[in-house]
Amino acid sequence: MNNNEPIAIAPHSLRLFHQSLFKTLVYFFLLILALAGVYKAFPLVLDALFLVVIAAILTAVFNPLVDRLESSGLRRLFGTLLTFGGIFSIVVIGVVKGIPTMLAEVTRIKDIIQQNAAAESLDSMIGAINAQIAEYVPGFQLDLGAISSLSAKFFSQLGSILAGALDTLATVIFILIITMFFLVDGKRMTKSLIGMVPNRYFEMSLNITYKTKQQLTNFLRGQLLAAMGVAIQSFIGLSLLNMIFDTNISGVLIISLIAGMANMIPFVGPFMGMIPAIIVSFFNNLGDPIAVSNFYYILHIVVMFLIVQMIDNNIISPIVVSGSMEMHPLTVILLILIGSQIGVLGMFLAVPAWGISKVVVQEVYQGLKGHRLI
Amino acid sequence: MSEKLNLSYPLFESFKNKLKPKRSLAQLALSQVNVFSRLSWQEIKIVENAVHIRNYGPGEPVFKQGDPGSGMYIIIEGSVGIFLDIPHQAPKQLSKLGDGDFFGEIALLDASPRTAAATALENSTIIGFYRPDLMDILRTKPALGGKILLALSEVLAVRLRSTNGELVKVSRKLETALEPGTNE
Repeated sequence: MNNNEPIAIAPHSLRLFHQSLFKTLVYFFLLILALAGVYKAFPLVLDALFLVVIAAILTAVFNPLVDRLESSGLRRLFGTLLTFGGIFSIVVIGVVKGIPTMLAEVTRIKDIIQQNAAAESLDSMIGAINAQIAEYVPGFQLDLGAISSLSAKFFSQLGSILAGALDTLATVIFILIITMFFLVDGKRMTKSLIGMVPNRYFEMSLNITYKTKQQLTNFLRGQLLAAMGVAIQSFIGLSLLNMIFDTNISGVLIISLIAGMANMIPFVGPFMGMIPAIIVSFFNNLGDPIAVSNFYYILHIVVMFLIVQMIDNNIISPIVVSGSMEMHPLTVILLILIGSQIGVLGMFLAVPAWGISKVVVQEVYQGLKGHRLI
Repeated sequence: MSEKLNLSYPLFESFKNKLKPKRSLAQLALSQVNVFSRLSWQEIKIVENAVHIRNYGPGEPVFKQGDPGSGMYIIIEGSVGIFLDIPHQAPKQLSKLGDGDFFGEIALLDASPRTAAATALENSTIIGFYRPDLMDILRTKPALGGKILLALSEVLAVRLRSTNGELVKVSRKLETALEPGTNE
């Protein structure tokens, strides 16, 4: 047979070849489209996932309350609505009472800064501090310029911070709606999800889900109770400072709530809780010679918060956060550093997220071992 | 003499049928189990919402011997064999359970390892009622949870009494066998 002889291809085979080539090209094009879609949609999916995770954490916080209402004979839907009604009322009261006060405070502080009164006062305070330090460390000077530029930068960004707050409000509403659905229908959703697990792993998955949910609830409940304890103590402490030393700290309730919330961030939180009290004390006592001689009561505030921390760490936390997980301080610092890449919320969530992951891994390992799958 | 009113008109019958509550297979199966037999239909419906209905193929294990026990099973349809694993031997079938039968109820209270294996012998639909489900009911419907726990305790009490009876019988037999003058 001659190799140079042209090979005849039947028109039918050629058509089939073209069809399959066309099919392959279409599939390839669709695959590229799908990959591009996934790539484009990935940030959106991440955003949605973030909302779902926050809603799941809130569900774990409010679930015991809804369960309690349900156990008293109320239907779950009404229990959820009642819980949300309560939260909504607290938020509304907080917004109606707190926001105008906060805005007034912020405007007042901004005016003071613009009038350079704060800078003068800062000048006098830092002068006093420098004079005191110079007695012990000769040549040491606090840089007033750096502090002034830092505060000016903060107030210049205040507008964008307030604009961002509106976006945050929309996100919060979304999260609350998802939380409500989770609270009402969460059990059915979990049941449907677990229902997809193959028979072999079903019992184990159910146990892991239950134990993880329990651990998470205990952890969050403990954290919230400890935060509430810190808020109450801070409120009492700041009120006492106002009464005894006439520190003139306004917005004690809001400052105490911030201190309570900040306390949930280990190590850094307690210091973050002090800052609003120090700022308010400074601006409320500008130019007051007694306040200047007392360094604007910074030491009083720091000592008060240290006492609160001592009570919290030695009495309250050991009692209420018994369900929480032990962590090495270095792990906590690293987690907060990683979380800070996402922002304050990241710092706030890094430790509980790690704790939950640890529980899940432990439970999965125990479950697999118990069922002799590993 | 009063005549009995005949109400067997087709329209009335259809209306009566519509009013008749419709029970699912799972509800009927649950009502047969002594742990739930004293519950009202409304309570059984709550239990039905808590349980998991699973399908098993022939030869598929429901659980293996030594697995940590976490709940009980009720057979809606099909059959399940209870097997005892004996080292170096083929598993010994202890019993065959069918429609409406239940097993593993002690695991609701105790997470100790399963003492035998359960394997589906044919295509079977089985209800699984696990400890987390019971804990959920206890938390959200404490009265219902209490009823289930009481029924479970009764099941345990009956078993304990029966075991005690068996023990007495065996010890008597043993005493008789060991009595002097007995050749056996």
